[in-house]
Parts: sequence; structure tokens; C-alpha cells
Amino acid sequence: MSVETTPADRQGRSRSEELKTLTILWAIFTVLGVIFALIVPHHLMGPSASNTMTEVERTFTMFSVASAPVAAVVWALAVYSLMRWRRRGAWKEGDPDGPPLRGHGMTSGIWIFLSSALCLFLLIWGLAALSKVDSAAASGATPLEIDVTGQQWVWTFSYPSQGVESDQLVLPVNRPVVFKVTSDDVIHSFWLPEMGIKVDANPGVTTSTSTVPDRLGLYHVRCAELCGLLHADMETNARVVTSDDFDTWIAGQGGHA
Amino acid sequence: MTTADIYKTDPSPVAPHGGIMRRLNVGTGIIAGIVLAVVANVLAKKLADGHTHEPDVRAVFTMFGWAVGFLLGMGAFTGPFRWLVGRDLTHADELFLAGKDQGVGRYFRFTTDHKVVGIQYLVLVMVMLGAGGSMAMLIRTDLISPNSGFLGPQTYNSLVGLHGLTMILATIIMVTGPFGNFVVPLMIGARDMAFPRLNALSFWLLVAMLPILYSAAFLGGIPMGWVGYTPIADQGPPGVDAYMMAILVFAVSTAVAGMNITTTIVTMRARGMTWTRTPIFVYGVLASVVLALPAFPFFMAAELLLFVDRVMGGGFYVPNRGGQPWLYQNLFWLMGHPEVYVILIPAVTALMELTAVFARKPLFSFRIAVLSIIAIVGLSATVWAHHMFASGWAPDLNGPFMLTTEMISIPTGGLFLVILGTIWRGRIWTAFPMMCTYAMLWNFIIGGITGIYLSDVPLDYQLHGSMFVTAHFHYTLMGAGLTGAMGALGYWFPKMTGRMLGNTPAFVSFWLVQIGFNVTFLGMFMVGLQGQPRRVVHYDASFHTGNTISTLGAYCIGIGMLVLLYDVISSWRHGDLAPMNPWGAKTLEWTVPNPIPLENFAVLPVVTEDAYGYGEEPVPESEPEPVPASAGAEADVPGAPA
Repeated sequence: MSVETTPADRQGRSRSEELKTLTILWAIFTVLGVIFALIVPHHLMGPSASNTMTEVERTFTMFSVASAPVAAVVWALAVYSLMRWRRRGAWKEGDPDGPPLRGHGMTSGIWIFLSSALCLFLLIWGLAALSKVDSAAASGATPLEIDVTGQQWVWTFSYPSQGVESDQLVLPVNRPVVFKVTSDDVIHSFWLPEMGIKVDANPGVTTSTSTVPDRLGLYHVRCAELCGLLHADMETNARVVTSDDFDTWIAGQGGHA
Repeated sequence: MTTADIYKTDPSPVAPHGGIMRRLNVGTGIIAGIVLAVVANVLAKKLADGHTHEPDVRAVFTMFGWAVGFLLGMGAFTGPFRWLVGRDLTHADELFLAGKDQGVGRYFRFTTDHKVVGIQYLVLVMVMLGAGGSMAMLIRTDLISPNSGFLGPQTYNSLVGLHGLTMILATIIMVTGPFGNFVVPLMIGARDMAFPRLNALSFWLLVAMLPILYSAAFLGGIPMGWVGYTPIADQGPPGVDAYMMAILVFAVSTAVAGMNITTTIVTMRARGMTWTRTPIFVYGVLASVVLALPAFPFFMAAELLLFVDRVMGGGFYVPNRGGQPWLYQNLFWLMGHPEVYVILIPAVTALMELTAVFARKPLFSFRIAVLSIIAIVGLSATVWAHHMFASGWAPDLNGPFMLTTEMISIPTGGLFLVILGTIWRGRIWTAFPMMCTYAMLWNFIIGGITGIYLSDVPLDYQLHGSMFVTAHFHYTLMGAGLTGAMGALGYWFPKMTGRMLGNTPAFVSFWLVQIGFNVTFLGMFMVGLQGQPRRVVHYDASFHTGNTISTLGAYCIGIGMLVLLYDVISSWRHGDLAPMNPWGAKTLEWTVPNPIPLENFAVLPVVTEDAYGYGEEPVPESEPEPVPASAGAEADVPGAPA
């Protein structure tokens, strides 16, 4: 049941003109969003120091690019509605109402189909990335195993095959490394921000995570779970060095290669 | 006819006016609470003298004594007590309890009128938001520079936890409390809630809870954040007992309130108000409490086990006694994720309700709105372990939980569709409540998209426990939830107080809060991506810029909130008197006069169509004739004398 309440100012414009303006707005927002997505996250996360982090940054950028058109639909509609349909002044008794549009099967159908398709795409992408991350250390050279123990408020790294224990993390470049993580007291969370890996250090159990560091440099180990008074101080250095420097360091610590 | 009418013959000549019951108020409640707290403390000292758990036993006894004493002194148990001794409440007693002819005093008593309870909730929510907001200001001030030294680590950690818990509790009740209690009975054409005394009980339990919660600050603080993870909670000072007891009291309150609201909505809708004619906000409130009813007992159970650990020497969560911290995390998040939607759904549906009014259009696709809400409620119970991707618990389940979590984005998109469709070609009146709808669209799309990042397991490994997560959930709970509640406040303020909310200060506050909000949390996304962990009292110099931006934004929010507070107080006291229906809305609450009479409707309304018939021809009025009991087809003027 339709009622002719279309105000005069609206009759001049055709439907296609309306869609055209909307599409332009949407395209502008999408382009801005994509540019933002390609530059900003990567810049903030910094250069990746492991294959895991490369994957994380790639996924983050990909998701941002995929979300840009979605956010743009919402923003374009919101901005357009304010530009075109905003009433000047307050509502008064007797003012005409908007058109009695109670739904539009086609619009709803397209909306739900597209959001489901996008959701499915993100899911498949995520599962693929997950399996890639999980199998990262399984390939290539024999992984270096490191036992990580958190306690209030220091990290201890022990290299069982080398017989070395240290409060600094030193990793050889391009060699897979597996961290076996546990805690002596409360829950901590072992985080290498530049390498994109994190796993909780739980008392009484051992959890594990792995990666392949692929860039020389000085990085951080941080605790990502509130663990009491000095939680903020529970951080140390992670150094990625060449294989030779690693052997030298092990020897210097009294270990054997 | 109420129960009181049926049992109005009161045989007892001793106290015809109810005697002592009429002398009870919040003052006697506080006195009785303190007395019982002292008694319980002494008793606990006798019981547990010298025992390892003595401080904890004394703390929980004292808090329990306070809560019971306060409620006793308030007169919360008058009804059951009178029933036990065989003298039921008379009609005059019921009217007294409903606050008839008591002026302002009724806000300080155990008053059962849903409108009084709604206003009480509104004030309580504002007090809690003020407390939580002040803590946020202290936290942000500390973080203005890498090593400000403004707060010590112990104070900082406690503040982070108390800010979080205060805000979570406040946002859980911020829509269903004030508006669910005040507006929903009016909206469905009822005279009161189904269980008015339980309604009052749910509110006064919260008042009893607040001193318990904040006593944590004087009992050594809480070292473990609002999530209360174990085993650090097992080791904590008696402040943790305060955390635990506050949650137990809160859980009872939400159970009582949820049961009451559910019963009211399901059984007390006006004649003719079928489910397709029930306003969407009523659905939102119903979904919220129906979701909370099964979810919150998990939290309660988690805290009861912690109670056994801390007070009685149990070891549910202590690894070297065979306990398991992951058990706590699972129980906690079984509540914790549904809780997000407990907060969001009523806020978003309040905005849907007012968007239809301010766009002068029917709600776009009512059916999708309802189905989306149902889908979100269902799915939200299946996603909890996405909070535990990085915990190491059950890595094999990460894939399935990623699936369920990402699926929630589909019905959430449905909510956006409904609002955007309603705006489409509307005649949009951008008054303060409608501005909140637009702000929600902006904020919630950012909060939603960043939520999808976090549902992705490899990304979550990197982002979990970082400031990115903090920024994300503030975008949802504050950017969408609190903004929705502010829209609801602006929209229903005229009906709740009889006065209009001042426009200019509301406008100023809106821009200060929304700009400040986006500055604060975009800055927080920035440092999160750079690698700053959550809940740290100081941080690496490389995060300085983002943190300073966040702090300046937070001050901006603080000033904006003060402006809104000023607006609410000054409008409440001497704002313009509101007409009966200032927005020209079609829901039933706008058909009752200001001030609203005690039992709302002189004659209960009969509903013949839904409340969204904007731009449609009115249903032709037919001759009044006897209406079959099942469906009301006539008399479309609700509240008209029969």
C-alpha cells in the first residue's frame, strides 16, 4: 500500500541518479579504505622478523582490504542519507512521513548472500593461514627446541640440547624453533611481537608454539597476561643472530653445539 | 485484579497500617547492614581464629552480613515474612510498597513501582559510569608518557580491574535496567512488571553490591584484572574476596531481574500485541535477559569454586593440588562472550526503535531484525573459546571456534541492514537520539571488523592480550553499546522525567564524546599493532605517540560526559515540560500522560497493528463491537476508555 508522500524536491531526481551518487561515494570510501589498509597496518606492525609474522601481516592487510568495501557501504549510505534526506528543523504534528517501505526482498537477499560469501572467504583464508602457521616449523632443518619458563616476573630460556640456560633469548636465523612454554607460578603469556607468536605459560602444563626467525636484529619478548605487580616489567630481549654467532654464544655460555 | 485485592481481608488488628514496614528505608538498611556486618565479622573471627584463611573468612562473612542486613533493613523480605506468619500484605500495604503518594521518599525505599525502579537504575548506572570513567581518567593519566610514575603498579593493576568490572556491570544493566524497567511495561501496555517486589529486589541487590565491590580497593586491591583469572586470583589479597562476593550478589540480581523481565514480556503484553506487533526494543530486552539467564550462572559457578579455593582451602584452580586454571577460563568465557551481546542487543534495538521514529518510516524488515537477534543469541553461546586461542587449551578446537565466531558477523550484518534500510529515503530528523544512531553505525562497523581480525586464529596469536583487543572491545561496548544507551536516554528522557533533555548541551556533549572516543581508541589500535601489551603501568618509549593521543582523547570524552551529566541534571530539574508524545512515535509508552499515573493505564490498551505504520493509511475505524478474546481487531486508540 503506497502513499504519495514524496516531497517535491525529490521528484526531480531519478532513481538512477540516486544510485550514481551513492556508487561514487561508495567508490571513494572504498579506495580510501584500501589505501589505508595497504599502508597503515604494515607500517605500524613494522618489518616482520619471522615467517609467521609475514603471514600475520599479509592476513591483516588482506582482511582490511576485504573489509574496506563493506565499511564503505555503511558509511556511504549514512553520509548520503544525511546529504539528501535530512529534515531541516524539528518534526511537527502533521508533517508527511517517509515512504512506508517495510522491506525489500531483493536487497535483503543480496545483503545476506554477500555477507555470507565474504564470511566464507575469510574463514577459508583463515584456515589456510592457520595450517601454514602450524606447519611452519615442521619443514626444513631440525628445529631448535627451547624451554621457556615464566615466573613472576622474569623469563628463563633453556636450550636442552645445548645445555644452556639464559634470561636472554638468542635465536639462529632461518632455523625453525619450537618453544615449549610453562610457568612456575601464575599464568603468563609468552609473546614475541615482531615474530607474531604468542602462547600462554600455564603452571602445571606445557604449551608450545613455533616459528622460523628470518631477519637478523634485536627484538622483544613481552608478557601479555596480567601476572601481578611487575607485569609491565616482564620483558627481555630476543636476538636473532647468524648460525656462527649462535654457536659462539652457546660456547660462551658453557654449552655444546 | 491483584493478589492484594483477593486477600484484602486482613484479620490482624495489631498493626492495621503495616507498622514497622512503613518505617524502613535506605537509612535503616545501612544501619542494619553495618550491624550485621560487625556481628558476622566477630563470629568469623571466633570460627577461623588463627587459620590460614582467616582474613578471607572474615572478609566474606562481613560482606555477606552487610548484604543480608542491608536488604533486611530495607524491608526487602517484608512480603515473604508476612506470608510466613500468615498475614498477607493488604491492598493498602501494596499501594504503600508501590510508592503511592510518597513524593521523592519513594526513591529511597523498597518501592515496587516499575517506574521508580527504572529511575533508580538510571541513577545507579550513571553513578557506576561516573566511577568507572574516573578510574579510566586515572589510568589514561598514568599512560600519558612511558614512565609517568603517576600510579604505582599495585594501584594501577587494581584500577584496571575495577575500571573493567565497574564498566562491564554498568553496561550490562545500562539499557535493560533503566529502560527495560521503565519503558518496557509501558511499551507492552502493562500496569507493572510481573513480579514487582522481585524488581525492587534486583535493584537493591545492586546497591548492596557496590560497597562490597569497592571495598576491594581497601583490602589490598585486585591483582588480576576484571577477568579474575586464576591462579593469580587464588594468591590475591582479601580484595579478591570482595571481587568474588560482588559477582555473586550481581549474579543473583541479574537472575531475579532476567526472570522477571522475561515473564513480564512473555505473559503481560496488551491484548492484540502479537509477536509480530511487539516493538523491536521489547525483543532486544527479552533477548538480552534470556541470554543472560543461562550465561551468568557460569560466572557464578566460577566464583563459587574460587570461593571454595580461597575461603575453605579447596584446589579447583591450583595446579599443584590437581586444579586447572583453564577450567576457570572456560567457565568465565561461557558467561563472557554471551555477555557482550547481553550488552549490545538492547542498545542496538533501542536505536532501531528510535530510528524508525526519527526517519518517519516503518522499521525495514522487521523479520530480519528478529531473526538476526535470535541467530546472535544462539551463536553467541558457541563462541566462548575464541578468547582462549592463545591459551594453549585445545588447539584442535581453534578451527571450529573460528567458524562459529565468524558466522556471527552474518546476523550482525542483518542489524546494520535493518537500520540502513530504515534510514533509506526517510525524513531524517537529526535530533540527539538520531545522532547516536549515526555514531553507532560508524563505531560499530570498526568494532565489528576488528572483531573479525581477532576471530582469525593466526592474527589472534599476535593481537591477543595487546592494546588492539582493548581498543576493539571499547569500540563495541562503548562505541556501539554506550552510544546506544545515550540515544535511548535522549529518546525516553521526556517520558521518564516529564521534561525535555536540553538540546545544545547534548549536542556539544555528543561531539566531544564521539570525537574523543575515536581519537582515544584509534590511538589504542595503533599501539596495539605496534606491540604494546594490555594492562601495563609503563611501556616502551616507542609507544609514546599513540598513548599520548589516547590520553588526550580520553580527557575529551571525560569533559563530554560531564557536559551530558550537567545536561541531565539541569534538564531534570528545570527543563522544558515535555508534551505527551514529543517525537510523534507510535509505541504505547507515548500514549500515557506526564507524569505517568501509578498503574500507567486507566484502561488497558488493545493493540490492532504494529507501531511502525509511518506513511501508511491508518486502519479504517470500524464500529465498536464485542472483540473475540484471541485477537483485537477494533478500537485502535490505546488507552481509550472502554
